[in-house]
Amino acid sequence: MWIIPLTVVLPLLGAAALAVAGSITPRRWGDAVALLMAALCCGFCLYLCRASAGHELTYWFGGWRPRHFPTTGLVPTHLQAIGIAFDVDPIGAALAALGSLLVCAAVLFGWSYFDSVGVQFQVLLLAFLAATCGFCLTGDLFNLFVFFELMSVSAFALCGYKVEEKGPLQGAMNFAVTNTAGAVFILTGIALIYARTGALNMAQVGAQLRANLAVQPRPGALVLAAFALIACGFAVKAAVVPFHFWLADAHAVAPTPICILFSGVMVELGLYGIVRVYWSCFADALTPERQRLRSLLLGAAVLTALLGALMAWLQSHLKRLLAFSTISHMGLMLMGVALLTPRGLAATALYVLGHGAVKGSLFLGAGIVLHRLRGVDVARLHGRGRPLVWTGAVFALGGLALAGLPPFATATGDDQLSHALNQLHLGGLWLVSLIAAAVTGGAVLRSYLRLFWGFGKPSPAAAHQEKEEPETKPGRIPAVMFAPYAGLLLLGIALTFWPGLPEGALHAAQQFTSSASYRTQLLRQSPPLPQPLSTPGPQEPWRGVLSAGLALALATLSVRFSSLRGRDWGRPFHRLHSGHVGDYVSWLVLGVGVFAGLLLWLPH
Amino acid sequence: MNARARLLVFALGALLLGGAYMAALSQLAPLGRGASAYADILNRVCVRERHITDVVTAVNFDYRGFDTLGEEFIMFTAVMGAVLLLRRGKDEVQAPQEDELTSRRGRRRSDAVALAGVVFTAVLLLFGSYVITHGQLTPGGGFQGGVIASTALWLVYLSGSYKVMRQVGPKPLVEAAEALGAAGYALVGLIGLFQGAAFLQNTLPPGSIGSPFSGGTVPLIDIAVGLEVSGGFVLLLLTFMEEVLEIRLH
Repeated sequence: MWIIPLTVVLPLLGAAALAVAGSITPRRWGDAVALLMAALCCGFCLYLCRASAGHELTYWFGGWRPRHFPTTGLVPTHLQAIGIAFDVDPIGAALAALGSLLVCAAVLFGWSYFDSVGVQFQVLLLAFLAATCGFCLTGDLFNLFVFFELMSVSAFALCGYKVEEKGPLQGAMNFAVTNTAGAVFILTGIALIYARTGALNMAQVGAQLRANLAVQPRPGALVLAAFALIACGFAVKAAVVPFHFWLADAHAVAPTPICILFSGVMVELGLYGIVRVYWSCFADALTPERQRLRSLLLGAAVLTALLGALMAWLQSHLKRLLAFSTISHMGLMLMGVALLTPRGLAATALYVLGHGAVKGSLFLGAGIVLHRLRGVDVARLHGRGRPLVWTGAVFALGGLALAGLPPFATATGDDQLSHALNQLHLGGLWLVSLIAAAVTGGAVLRSYLRLFWGFGKPSPAAAHQEKEEPETKPGRIPAVMFAPYAGLLLLGIALTFWPGLPEGALHAAQQFTSSASYRTQLLRQSPPLPQPLSTPGPQEPWRGVLSAGLALALATLSVRFSSLRGRDWGRPFHRLHSGHVGDYVSWLVLGVGVFAGLLLWLPH
Repeated sequence: MNARARLLVFALGALLLGGAYMAALSQLAPLGRGASAYADILNRVCVRERHITDVVTAVNFDYRGFDTLGEEFIMFTAVMGAVLLLRRGKDEVQAPQEDELTSRRGRRRSDAVALAGVVFTAVLLLFGSYVITHGQLTPGGGFQGGVIASTALWLVYLSGSYKVMRQVGPKPLVEAAEALGAAGYALVGLIGLFQGAAFLQNTLPPGSIGSPFSGGTVPLIDIAVGLEVSGGFVLLLLTFMEEVLEIRLH
């Protein structure tokens, strides 16, 4: 399977080649190389997604296959992994494919977008692409961290791209400091686990922790604390409350093509990190604590969904609005994951695909508005979007899609989430999903009505709003900008009609969560255990129609009654998101402390 | 939040986190015991299998070489990011001022300092190359040697001037060296792939234990990493100094 390493090596080689030839090649070459690499990676990952259905594909770097070492005192029946493996499964491969596709969209949208010379932007984009693929496909705990860092480093620099303004530096700093704190927690957790198991391969770690279970039936403080540190570290990237503060600052200042990568795939990768480490390493060891862990994660998910929706509702800056809606939807994705069942994971996987397409499209819409109207603040731009009929139409559809209106793929994810909740008799939690979808969709639709139609009164405070630096010269909307904008929204519909997608997602989730089978296959090199496959629940269009209807109602009401937009009652929440990085880190430490404390010491 | 509230939130979190961390540490194996099985195995088989006498290098560039490829590119990406963020903005001009370039803040360096600089530049380059090329035998290798070699150019600035440093290490050349080093690692990895083995598989002859030409692909990777790291550090220095000395607002 020579294409497995190429998903990482090709973009890295492309980045290095561009940097070698950077000063003598025109910028178009940089764009072309980046586009080619992203398209190739997308193709490779889609192929791997199909090829790995039913049994993981394992690739041992350096040819270091696991071997038998008689006197190591390890679990005797298992082989010892001494090299680094990629373990490709459909969920990881699909996420990598989504990331590659969004990189394609970002390059296309940026084609006529940046007027600066130099290829560093494309070099960083390719490093981000390689990191995304590596992070999704790796089966090694430390390798996971390496690609996490590569992804972070490229993202920090891309976030601060607009060096002429003060804002980007501040936003990128907040992003870098909080996420580096998260990375420190992850590394500490990995060190603890390595000290306990003497292994870094995830299957090996899982097997070793499971073997320890025979000696000590409940997981000790070490295992619990290590999981808490790793999960919270990834939760910083996933923007789970109270680790979410950096996200809106970073999105508000990053160039639009970078926003779609951040919202469409990077925060989801944080969630993937939690899921991957849980199911591959900790699932057996934490079985006695599963109920408690589920409650903790569900609590964080509900808080994230609601606070994100509320904050999105309070924004008039389009990019900040969309950023907070990403936080809210991350809450919904975490809710599926938090159930710790295959159905929940499948629902989240579907939701990630739909959300990635829709949110990417909405951000590109904000980018076109910035391109044409030289600003993204709805209060200032009130009614000035009237000439942009088509941009507005796609934006409105995006708002409805965000609210979960069928036939957009977000509706499929939402349906499956409700089935997964019902399975555990938690159906009432679907109301949280309804509120989050309706409020975030309503906030987008409200902006649409005010910006593109001029409904409602202009905001009195509009005059003092700071003017945003335009990213390009004004003029017609180039086709390379509009094509990915509309294309991503169409993808959001196409995913619904993709034959067998819900079934595929459920089977992939079953494969992902059957950790025993995974270990057997990896360390004993035997075929996977056959398992009965479930069927996904039926589509229930009324849910999506209800939440889209609610979103429309909220939008209309808040356009009519401006006090609903929360200029007054929303102040305490604005103050909470202060932009002060010291505040963010304090909340972060409190979050990790409370999570670890509850996991360790809450009496049963 | 004001400073006091922030401190309170942080202290509460730190207390809980610290408690959990201490509870975790208390369950570690006692000092000196409970060595990792992974480390034991590698210590046992490394020299015999790979003809590499520095086990750390063998882990970094052979057994877990793919991690190190990622780490090398983290450094490459960080330098590229710094170059991107420190680039000349639309409202800035590159306007070198002659006195800043040839002397440091108006002070002339003495001939003795210049002579010492020339001597030690050569020594540093030689020592850096030695550390880079002997990674498979003794502690060291591309990362460490690359940092040492890069300080040679810093010394040129200290004992000479910014202008001399730019002449000795022109920016396009340094950029190309850094990127070539990064690409080199990945290209060495492709050797295995083209021979029908795995990516980064050490398929070159291992040589005899203790010889400078032992370890198969490992010395090649060391050289690539050395090039990347020294290029990266020099590029960082050049970029920062350019920002300070040459780039001005309109």
